[in-house]
Amino acid sequence: MKFTLKHFYFLSLILLTAACSSDDSIDKDQEKPTISVNYTAGFPQGCAMLTKGETYNFRAMVTDNQALAAYSIDIHHNFDHHTHDDQVAECDLGAIKSPVNPLIFIENYTVDEGLTSYEFNIPVTIPDDIDAGDYHCSYSVTDKTGWQSRTSIDIKIVE
Amino acid sequence: MFYKILSIGLFFSLCPTASAQGSFQIKGVVLHVKDLTPAQGATIVGKDHFAVTSETGAFTINNVAEGTYSFTISHIGCEPKTISVDVDSNLGEVKVFLHAMATVLDEVKVSGKTKKRAIMEVPIVSHTVSEEFLNQNRENTLMQTLSKIPGVSTINIGSGQSKPVIRGLGFNRVAVVQNGIKHEAQQWGNDHGLEIDQHGIENIQIIKGPASLLYGSDAIAGVVDIQPNAIPYPNSFSGAVNVLGESNNDLLGVSAGVQGRKEKWFYRARLTYRDYGDYKVPTDQINYENYIFELHENHLRNTAGREANASFSVGYVSDKIKSETFFSNVNSKNGYFANAHGLEARASSIDFDSSNRDIDLPYQTVNHFKVINSSTLALGEHTFLFDLGFQTNYREEHTEPSPHGYMPTPSNSKERVFHKNTFSLNVKDSFKPNDKHDIVTGINAEYQDNKIGGWGFLIPEYNRFTIGAFAYDQYEIHSNFHLLAGIRYDFGRIRSKSYFDWFPSTIDNADGSTSYVYLQRAQDKTLDFGNISASAGLSYINNNTTYKVNVGKSFRMPLANELASDGVFYSMYRYERGNLDLDPEESYQLDVDIDHTTKSFSLGVSPFVNFFQNYIYLNPTSEYNETQQVYEYTQAKVFRFGGELRASTKLFHNLRLDASAEYVYARQTSGPKKDFTLPFSPPLSGLLSANYQFNKLLFFEKPQLIADFRITAAQEEIVPPEEKTDGYQVLNMSFLSEIDVFKNNLPLEMRVKLNNVFDTKYFNHTSFYRLIDVPEAGRNISLSITVPF
Repeated sequence: MKFTLKHFYFLSLILLTAACSSDDSIDKDQEKPTISVNYTAGFPQGCAMLTKGETYNFRAMVTDNQALAAYSIDIHHNFDHHTHDDQVAECDLGAIKSPVNPLIFIENYTVDEGLTSYEFNIPVTIPDDIDAGDYHCSYSVTDKTGWQSRTSIDIKIVE
Repeated sequence: MFYKILSIGLFFSLCPTASAQGSFQIKGVVLHVKDLTPAQGATIVGKDHFAVTSETGAFTINNVAEGTYSFTISHIGCEPKTISVDVDSNLGEVKVFLHAMATVLDEVKVSGKTKKRAIMEVPIVSHTVSEEFLNQNRENTLMQTLSKIPGVSTINIGSGQSKPVIRGLGFNRVAVVQNGIKHEAQQWGNDHGLEIDQHGIENIQIIKGPASLLYGSDAIAGVVDIQPNAIPYPNSFSGAVNVLGESNNDLLGVSAGVQGRKEKWFYRARLTYRDYGDYKVPTDQINYENYIFELHENHLRNTAGREANASFSVGYVSDKIKSETFFSNVNSKNGYFANAHGLEARASSIDFDSSNRDIDLPYQTVNHFKVINSSTLALGEHTFLFDLGFQTNYREEHTEPSPHGYMPTPSNSKERVFHKNTFSLNVKDSFKPNDKHDIVTGINAEYQDNKIGGWGFLIPEYNRFTIGAFAYDQYEIHSNFHLLAGIRYDFGRIRSKSYFDWFPSTIDNADGSTSYVYLQRAQDKTLDFGNISASAGLSYINNNTTYKVNVGKSFRMPLANELASDGVFYSMYRYERGNLDLDPEESYQLDVDIDHTTKSFSLGVSPFVNFFQNYIYLNPTSEYNETQQVYEYTQAKVFRFGGELRASTKLFHNLRLDASAEYVYARQTSGPKKDFTLPFSPPLSGLLSANYQFNKLLFFEKPQLIADFRITAAQEEIVPPEEKTDGYQVLNMSFLSEIDVFKNNLPLEMRVKLNNVFDTKYFNHTSFYRLIDVPEAGRNISLSITVPF
């Protein structure tokens, strides 16, 4: 019996020592990047109206604790009201309708190596021949580690 | 099965026998219930009284004073039964009906070793789960039931689906074996649950470590081996109906099973049906990836489902041959949480909240059909085992058709179809030249054919052939000291088929022009793999203490999705990319197990250290593909250690206390996520259980009250895209009892279970819905009644 218990203590000790001695001091990146349009020049703001034929500068501030890597812009229609955004305002949506020739804007960009703060500024011209109506503008950003943050904004394209 | 006590009927005739004296006479008869023939030579044993039945089954006990007496009636081939007799002037003739024993107690080994002893002698660290454990702890799915075992956890997909995780590893790293054949479905999938009926299982062996030597590829982290049930006793028939109701997801389940045997032929059959509604979580809203969803009356909308299972087997047993053929079909349909499936969180036009029982889009349907023949043939010192299996798994995933990127709105809801046919063959020879050696050699072969369909591409069509040969020897150095050593070689070939998008994508060329291309997502490719695995271990039994040490090397062949995925994983908001250069995963593990068991208490510890040479890992990169984050399959060295502690003691005869703890540490020591842990790492967790056995309580026989208190620490060790998960404490209570409703029949078994007593809002780090911040199920009351016959 004594023999057994001694072994138990020994093994438990090993287990505990091993459990506690794990090296957690290593500097691994545990923070997601951030993305924001909540500043004066940020674009688009929630419920923004965009006019066909005009060119707009899509701007957002992205930051990370270590190194930013890439970002993407995705503009797609919300004619079926599939969801609402995470911005403060709730926008008035138009009637549900079927898309004929909706705007599809899907682009990826990289951020210069080593930056921890960056404002992207992408000019996009809204074509004249696309469907007007409710759209979503989704931004996402990754850092070098592979963490990602996203945000999406309800917008409206008008004639 | 000794616990399936087929009882006797006890019947007091109404005609009174008066007695003038203060002492009485008990007169009675013992009959076989099956054909009402008299049981001659049955013994009736009381504290101070004894009788043997005559040719007519009759017996008499004289000079019995007034009072209540207990007698045990035994007869060869029958279940012994204890009856209680109230002796007074109203006593009539006592009729006792004896049931034939329903099952053979155990596989009787020539050596006379008990199964328990045999398990102690095998150096492989394993855990045996009995039917009693399954019945006492039954949850919604088999894996949820087994997650009470330290070191075993689950990845839950809603309330009705779950997949096994052993010491933090799951998916294709845990092999599930049923009746000798590896269960083959879409194990790699996040939202795939195990297609096995959890009713009617008597015996499961869980190996918490590498077991490729015996089970081949995929058994790299462990095995859940669902073993064939014991063969019924000759000339017996038995059965049971179980009814289950649950409050949280309004579940209603019925399962009925029968088994019978003539002399040499036997059969078993079972039907199970379960239907459940949306389950409730203790929260009003869910915030996922910057979309906010309100929940209607705490219902996690569209998580309802149903399951219908049927199984049948027929077998033959004689001195030398045992053969059983199993047919089973598991069919289920269950919804996915509507707001977090599909490319975007959708507030669709479907009125999900109109009913909590309907299954709207998105949902999946699964049908899994199996036929397995398992035969053993004993020839002198050789025992040959043959398992032959065919299984077909058909799964459809339906979502609301919606356009994404350059993909126009599809014409139907059939997003993905997987159809997998698997043929398996095992041949094994167990050769016992003398008492010291048990040499086992064998071959496993398997052929899989995977077809795909639907508008969403994730993995290509492929077929896979594997064949492996192994040999091991269990050598008895001393009756208390055993060595097991073995080696195995496997060869595998995967052939993936090419796939092109069904819609064109817009490509901006360098010269400023634009082309529209049907993108190729997968190539025709043939890949060969070969691998050696091995295992060696010692077991030493010193009185009440068993020591085991085992070292093993296991492997796993890369899967087609790991090699050749190339598509948007809609439900996970990501783009998955395979890697054709992946090597088979290789893992080395050292396991130790020490168990000390006496009558009054038991204590056990099972630590392990594990090293992966090239763990295949789905790495979230910083790249984008059409605005979806790219996840790429890569390989990394991984170091893991951990283990389980367990203690159990019996206080004051009626109270049993159990405590267990489990811990796993994992760290990637190379690759793009160096120093990070592995995905779905279970946090440190402990379980305290108290089991109080009452004496008879009102009309409850053998009532038991069980309290399970789980304490789980926070999981701070995460890897992208996971979230840290807070610790939690949850209390579950259950009350088990037997009730004698029909005097002349078997008692009902009932169980009332109260899960999450305080409706605690907590998150399970290894739940499929954890990533979208869905808490675990709220309070649930379940009532289960089993009527044996």
